[in-house]
Amino acid sequence: MKKVLATVLALALCVSAYSAFAETKVSFFTGKIETVDLLNEIIDSFNAANPGIVVEQEYQKDASSIIKVKFASGEVPDVMTTYEQEFVDQGKYLDLSAENEWWDRLVPSMRDSCTDLKTGKQFRVCTNMTMAGFFYNKKIYADLGLTPATTWDAFVANLKVIKEKMPDVTPWFIFGKEAWHLGHLIEFIPHGYLKQTLGTLECKKAMLENDSAKLNFGAADGAMAVFAQNLLDLHKEGLINEDVLTATSDNCVEAFTTGKAAMFSNGMWALSGLLAANPDMADQIGFAPYPAYMPDSKPVVLCAEDSGYSISATTANMDAAKAFLSYLFTADNQKKYSEALGSPSAFTDVDANWAPAAFAAEVKSVLNSAVNIGFTNEKPAGFTGDDAGRMVQDLLAGTYDAQSFAQAYEKAWNEGF
Amino acid sequence: MQGRKPLSIQRQRGMREIDWTQYMALPALLLFATFFVYPLIRGIGMSLTDWDGMGEATFVGFANFTRFFQDARAMGDIRTTLIFAAGSAILLNLVGLLYALLMEKPFHGRSLTRVIIYLPAIISPLIMGYIWYFLLQPGRGYLYHALEQLGAPFTLGNWMKDYPTTMLVLILVNVWQYAGMTMIIYLAGLQNISADLREAAMIDGAGTWQRFTGVTIPLLMPAIRINVVTNIIGSLSVFDVIMSLTEGGPGYATESLSIYIMRMCYGSRTGYSTAVAMILFAIILLPVLISMRLTREKA
Repeated sequence: MKKVLATVLALALCVSAYSAFAETKVSFFTGKIETVDLLNEIIDSFNAANPGIVVEQEYQKDASSIIKVKFASGEVPDVMTTYEQEFVDQGKYLDLSAENEWWDRLVPSMRDSCTDLKTGKQFRVCTNMTMAGFFYNKKIYADLGLTPATTWDAFVANLKVIKEKMPDVTPWFIFGKEAWHLGHLIEFIPHGYLKQTLGTLECKKAMLENDSAKLNFGAADGAMAVFAQNLLDLHKEGLINEDVLTATSDNCVEAFTTGKAAMFSNGMWALSGLLAANPDMADQIGFAPYPAYMPDSKPVVLCAEDSGYSISATTANMDAAKAFLSYLFTADNQKKYSEALGSPSAFTDVDANWAPAAFAAEVKSVLNSAVNIGFTNEKPAGFTGDDAGRMVQDLLAGTYDAQSFAQAYEKAWNEGF
Repeated sequence: MQGRKPLSIQRQRGMREIDWTQYMALPALLLFATFFVYPLIRGIGMSLTDWDGMGEATFVGFANFTRFFQDARAMGDIRTTLIFAAGSAILLNLVGLLYALLMEKPFHGRSLTRVIIYLPAIISPLIMGYIWYFLLQPGRGYLYHALEQLGAPFTLGNWMKDYPTTMLVLILVNVWQYAGMTMIIYLAGLQNISADLREAAMIDGAGTWQRFTGVTIPLLMPAIRINVVTNIIGSLSVFDVIMSLTEGGPGYATESLSIYIMRMCYGSRTGYSTAVAMILFAIILLPVLISMRLTREKA
């Protein structure tokens, strides 16, 4: 009897040791804090439904930097949300072009946005779309009889009316202590102009090849110099906050949700913060495009891919990683995901309430009326959006005039290559 | 015991005496070699390449070093780092010495006061920087509003507008945090000065100032040396205070060399950033060598 019991026990131990050994661990690396809790829930239900596969989420605030360390040390996660052109060039991602199960459900333009220009392949799947433009206080606008501007002159006129009629309200709040925010202004306004005049694809190619004849960053009457001059003029006339160089995004949210700022530039990711700070403001938040600021240009709105998922090219757990993504991309999970993220889903079969109805309708209207542009993933590796933002800080601090700013930008861009 | 021969016999037979205790240092040496010598040697090698942190590295000789000295931003960072280090070292020593002189005298609640002065030194400089930013933020900080309520103007105004004021604020926050640490070393030095010497000077008719300059300061020189050198070393590698208060801005105006190294490294210029780290190492090494020289002279 004892021998039988010992054998059974030994067998049980062997089986449990084998199953532990056979367990496939899928490491998932993300920098998106707004989805961490939801993804933990989704991962738990995936792990429960898939014995033998264990997905583990790792969140890092500075994910885009830390992933470089992971690549350098060989500790590459199986699935990740970080995506950079230089990683694509170095073959770090698995080719997902053949995953028609996912692509067939995606908005076609989003597949284009996920396509690598150099190879024509897709190395990531973006689950959502994000937009950026001006968030404005509808009540202030209505009280002053204003409508969102589509040209720069009308935009400045609006700001002047706000300053004159409501002296305690900051017409345009810029949180310039955070360099990325100023970098986004460059990305959406002068880069936005280039994208609309050259066309998104041509502009991306010009940036990728550093085609200076097309980019023309340093020209005296070019998009960069005019943008810089406009910003300096607004600063000089007190149409943006005086503490532009020291204000933070928290300051901006506070000012906007308490009615002390009439508008600010940002992406959809800011919406949940605004509603958390003042839930009663849901019906008062409006959305407007970036006004046309160059001759013969049009208003622009960012409509870009968001929440991209990639698989490592060197993963040993490719099937498990794909199984996890398939589960994450189900319509039910994506509805929850879209609502948690506060941005519309890129999947055609997902119907999510990602924002208050009136706001969502206004965003849709702006997308239909303004030129849609995407993010620039083709920037030189040595000149990041933060670097561009720090140049705008210098501009506002008086280091440059508009012309020297444009020339310095061109120089920094070229050196970044 | 049988297998071991007496030492005298070993000596008689010309055998080398082995002191096994010296091998007890091996683990420490191993750790030192693994975590200091090896990274240093790898770093030197890496600084001579164009490695981007992921791909293949190509040998570029001293190109990274020459490029550093041609980069206007890097030169500005050296200026900021040196100004910060010099300003911090001077003020830290003056304030620390003043604290020590005050804390040396007996008064009710002295121990508690010493603890309060020392307390900021044990808090993370990054957190301390953020706290000070909340206090000093132009137009929005708590201190700004407190002074406004009292009807007094905020004397620092928009301190991030010009370079000297920004540097002054950075130095003052650093001094506020580490003055307690400097005070402790000076207190130890003061306690080593014999009361008889001061008493003798007093009997000889020396005034307070004469006793301070003629007796206290000369006998406090070892503590001064330690404080000056450690403060310079600490301030030359400054990162946290600047990162939390100004993020090196506006632009790159208040960027230190440590922040520059971090940004270059994460900007896929790992080889170059390692070269800059070597340059910073040399800059920090200089005051260390000077201090060693001074200590040797004293010995």
